[in-house]
Amino acid sequence: MKEVFKRIFFPKREKLWWMNILVPITSIILALIVGAIFIKSTGRSPVLAYKLLFGSSGLFPGPYWKNHFAEMLLASSMFISTGLAFAVAAKGGLFSIGAEGQFLVGGIVAAYFGYAKPFANLPTAVHLTIIFIAVMIAGGLWGAIAGWLKAKRGIHEVITTIMLNWIAIYLIEDWLVIGPMKANVSTGVSGTPYISETAKLPKILPGTRLNISIIIIVVVAYLVWFLLYRTTLGFEIRAMGHTLIYGMEAPKAAGVPVEKRVVQTMFISGAIAALGGAFIILGILFQFPPVFEGGYGFDGIAVSLIGQNEPLGVFLAGMLIGGLRTGATSVQLAHIPKTFPSIIEGLIVAFIALQELVRYLLTKFLVHKKNVISGQNPGGSDKNSINVKLSDGGAAK
Amino acid sequence: MNNNMSLLNLSIAQILDFAAPILFAALGGVVSENAGVVNIALEGIMRFSAFFGVWGAFVSKNPWIGLLWGIGVGIILGALHGYISVKWAGDQIVSGVAINVMAMGIITYLLEFVFKTTGYSPPVPYFGSGANRIHIPFIAKIPILGAFSNLTVLVWFSLIGVFLIHFVLYHTVLGLRIRSVGENPHAAETLGVNVFKIKWLATISGSILAALGGVALSLGTLSSFTNAMPMGKGFIGLAAMIFGKWTPIGALFASLIFASAQIVQMLLQSSASGIAKQIPLGFYLSLPYFLTIGALIGVVGRAIPPAADGIPYKKEG
Repeated sequence: MKEVFKRIFFPKREKLWWMNILVPITSIILALIVGAIFIKSTGRSPVLAYKLLFGSSGLFPGPYWKNHFAEMLLASSMFISTGLAFAVAAKGGLFSIGAEGQFLVGGIVAAYFGYAKPFANLPTAVHLTIIFIAVMIAGGLWGAIAGWLKAKRGIHEVITTIMLNWIAIYLIEDWLVIGPMKANVSTGVSGTPYISETAKLPKILPGTRLNISIIIIVVVAYLVWFLLYRTTLGFEIRAMGHTLIYGMEAPKAAGVPVEKRVVQTMFISGAIAALGGAFIILGILFQFPPVFEGGYGFDGIAVSLIGQNEPLGVFLAGMLIGGLRTGATSVQLAHIPKTFPSIIEGLIVAFIALQELVRYLLTKFLVHKKNVISGQNPGGSDKNSINVKLSDGGAAK
Repeated sequence: MNNNMSLLNLSIAQILDFAAPILFAALGGVVSENAGVVNIALEGIMRFSAFFGVWGAFVSKNPWIGLLWGIGVGIILGALHGYISVKWAGDQIVSGVAINVMAMGIITYLLEFVFKTTGYSPPVPYFGSGANRIHIPFIAKIPILGAFSNLTVLVWFSLIGVFLIHFVLYHTVLGLRIRSVGENPHAAETLGVNVFKIKWLATISGSILAALGGVALSLGTLSSFTNAMPMGKGFIGLAAMIFGKWTPIGALFASLIFASAQIVQMLLQSSASGIAKQIPLGFYLSLPYFLTIGALIGVVGRAIPPAADGIPYKKEG
């Protein structure tokens, strides 16, 4: 059976491996260009807009960098969590749109365990541990519902996760927050009560709001990488993803309990997404507000797609989106609404969806041109190395 | 008695008003998914067309021009979705996500650019105003039928659309081709069907239908665009399509059920007593989604998508 797996995996270690890095970068550049054309066509200055956007995004050093940097990491930790949630599922061949709902479930559970009386006087470390365990179990179960429906009933996870998102949104925002979990009216708080001091995430950079969420998410990202590439479970998950279009026959034949793995993968995915919900409640909002500005789950899809579903890629893409969101408020100085970054984000995803075209164009420009160049002028230093790899791959084939 | 009757008629008319955007979205999904192109961009397309409809009506002072603008933007987005997912065999869901994300950003941007606001557009001429509605006075007093005496033209379009699409899909050669492409594109290709052409046609007409849904949202009973639109109506449409088992008639019933759930919820909120009043709002709002999952599990009969739904088609060789 090892042979079967090898045959499945090794073509993936393709000769044009650098393409996997180049495609997202090209997509980002193309998106920024199209975004600039869009700003220009509405009579505003794209140079000023991008200067403001990236100047205060925290991605590059500049005035007030410490603050922007902290805010960027704070926002990134949420995007990375939902991005990783999507990536884990995608590695297993599951297209989970459910991070939005799992994020909210994580948030509401964190809020509950944050303010509930029996836990209020525990030491911070213990209190936070309890909260995170509860959050991950709740989010995991919410995700596992979709996995179970997929495994047992064969219902496509895209549909169930969309439905579960809306169920979570309505049940939380139009029932729990205004009903059973409503704060006492006399306190003047709308939404749920505020969490106790011991449930707040400890800050790590004095003078900013930056808290340990970014450290937690770095560890989680590493664990996801370890799970996927260094454990049997991860190996089986990836095997499922690679053989998706063949009905996962190969892993089944190799004795992988595919149905069980589907549920487990969705559980892990849901648990990671829920972490993001806990971050925003325990680190930024300190309560579940009556009007929750969501969207982190949907952005997580974009983050993961930009990062090519690899933990490291997701981490970097999460920082990019987090940075764009942080810079968004100052874009308003250029008379551009702060939702502008989501145009860029959507455009990046559109170009990622168009990756067949992007790959085609890149191959045409780089590979063909290089053949011409290498014919005439074999001295090119940087491009030459790519060229060698290319011809190696070609020879192997 | 007379009072009850007019209340009944009014409720039915209200349900039809509510159902129209959902129904249009569901029909858009039906058309495009029967040709094997998943379109989760319905939500984004509705947002675009709701805004462009209002913009068109604002510029021209005529809702019909707004309708045309809405359809126009629907065609453009359908073409984009088709270009990504049909021409370049890109992932249809990724493409849909891209359109949805862009809709959030671009429309907020344009709302600020055109109307200098981030909340509501100013009121514009719309289809729901007295003069623009379709009056059929002589049935106004008849129970149930009377509900149809004072509807907007868009509601009529949506109802006619159901039967038109049903006819095209199940009683014409074109419909047979569309369905064959959705079930087994390779077999269809062998029989001489131009798979790409059919997919393009279905994707764009699906987008036009979704765009009509967006216009129905902003120019139907309301007369302005709000930045929260379409408030998940596109996703409910998607749910209605699945609940209706990928058929136009099914989509009609599903949309009516979902719309009634909301009307009932509104009625109960204002006038209920006893247990019904104690059921929280969230339960009514999430009901359509529970129903959809129920439909998929098989409580209401198993819903089976077209066999090649969502699989990008590439020519062999």
